[in-house]
Amino acid sequence: MASLQQARFDYTMVETLAATLVLATCLSSAVVAETKKEYRYTVGPNANISVDTQYGAISVKPGSDNEVVVSATLKSDDVEVDQQQNGNRIGIASHLLRGTDQPTGQVDYELLVPPDATINLRSSSGPLSVEHLRGDLTLEGADAVVNVRNVENGHVHVWTMRGPVTLTDVRNGHIEINSISGDVHLKSVTGTLVQATSSRGKIFYDGDFGSAGDYKFTTHSGDIEALVPADVSAGFRAHSLLGRVQHDFPLQPKHSRFSEEVGRSFVGTSGQAASEVVLRSFSGKIRLKQR
Amino acid sequence: MTCSDVQRALPEILEGAPDSAFATEFETHVKSCADCSDLVSDVRLITSDARQLAASEEPSPRVWLRIAAELRAEGLISDPAIRPEFAGTSAAPRPILVPDSPRRRWSAWWLAPVAAGLVAAGSYVVSHKPAPQVARQQAPATSGTSSAPATTPVAETPAVAAASVPAPAPQRMARKSASPTDVVGSAVRPAVEPAPSAEDQQFLSVVSTRAPSMRAAYENQLQAVNADIRETQAYVNRNPGDMDARQHLMDAYQQKALLYQMALDRIQ
Repeated sequence: MASLQQARFDYTMVETLAATLVLATCLSSAVVAETKKEYRYTVGPNANISVDTQYGAISVKPGSDNEVVVSATLKSDDVEVDQQQNGNRIGIASHLLRGTDQPTGQVDYELLVPPDATINLRSSSGPLSVEHLRGDLTLEGADAVVNVRNVENGHVHVWTMRGPVTLTDVRNGHIEINSISGDVHLKSVTGTLVQATSSRGKIFYDGDFGSAGDYKFTTHSGDIEALVPADVSAGFRAHSLLGRVQHDFPLQPKHSRFSEEVGRSFVGTSGQAASEVVLRSFSGKIRLKQR
Repeated sequence: MTCSDVQRALPEILEGAPDSAFATEFETHVKSCADCSDLVSDVRLITSDARQLAASEEPSPRVWLRIAAELRAEGLISDPAIRPEFAGTSAAPRPILVPDSPRRRWSAWWLAPVAAGLVAAGSYVVSHKPAPQVARQQAPATSGTSSAPATTPVAETPAVAAASVPAPAPQRMARKSASPTDVVGSAVRPAVEPAPSAEDQQFLSVVSTRAPSMRAAYENQLQAVNADIRETQAYVNRNPGDMDARQHLMDAYQQKALLYQMALDRIQ
């Protein structure tokens, strides 16, 4: 009986050891497959930097004024990094080898760039994040979560398919965001043009609409909500063809060629109406709320 | 002749190749190469469809210039050196397709004109007013009750509008047994999902080949934008004078063009 128990114990031990060995082998091969690479480029003012990867995160932060540092983490040997510098223009692209898909084709990038650089990022999976820059930004990602923070004086163009877009503390920009079903969150975002379109996603704005800017938010079925301070200075026009429209704001009547339809639209101004705000939806709800 | 030669010569061949021996060589290669055969049939289909578009539906030259600039920037086309047969003539050489690199496939470039076509179609639909319906809707205004201009959005409930504009047969049948609210709902969201168009099927086929993991996502989003277009189109049909609705329809077409453009960018 005791020998039978001993045999069972030995068998379990062997089984456990084998499993551990297999696991360790898998883990070690995964670790070995992941490689890190670093590229450095010397650039002048207003450098143009593009990063294009099928899968993976791209993060961009400010670094020194005349150097671009790119750190790439490749998840496997099935993907390569192509890089090229032509004067002030730098192009980085992930190059998937045949048959590679996510996650083996993933490359994560971290960039340190001059603050005045123009940045173009593209990743299907994302996330894409940019902060503390003042050059033009173009970010494109199908499913990518997009985060832009503390950016000023530049054009910010964002395209996503499903990925949510969040802009925080973006000042004096020319901003165009377009998503098919991703939500768009804008917090403390101002500029001469701030335009957000999402067919099915929601658009949420929290800020004061700056001064002398055009703000245009459009959805098909997504809701639009704007949260503004009591002293906001803007002219508002909101219209939803099939959805409800409401505001809790003491708007002054405004002459407009657009007819007002109770519950479906409103037109009015607050303060000096320094900015123009247009909120349009086909069937989504529109709400203008006082903070 | 190689596949690269075929890609390079394709625009000239479609316009009528000047050299018949060259054309024969071209056709021989196309017959023996499945990839080139697919490419040529795709391009011929698009070319013939494009010719059927009326001049009023044509996008502005700026649209084409922008597409050409983007294709040039992507390295998909380049300005060719002048060939001997064009030397001394006023015929400007057309941009040529850049030969394929090992990691870039070429047969998805048709998505660019399709995307532009979608925008053009949207523009056409938005700008094209069905005159008899507008006239019928404006009739009460001219009888003295309202002085609203023709372009003022009509403050008409969808149910009333639905009653005043002829609807497609399935919708008419649905209305017979439905309440006004149901009518609006059924008209806005058709219960039966229409079959995808040839372009959409081809689009999804290319996505399946190049980015299989993204196929479901693109298909889902394509269905969504198509549903938005149908929904808005149904509203515009009932409210042909509503310029805001027309703008939403244009927006919906642009969203579809965006989807195509993103796929084009992604699957290079």
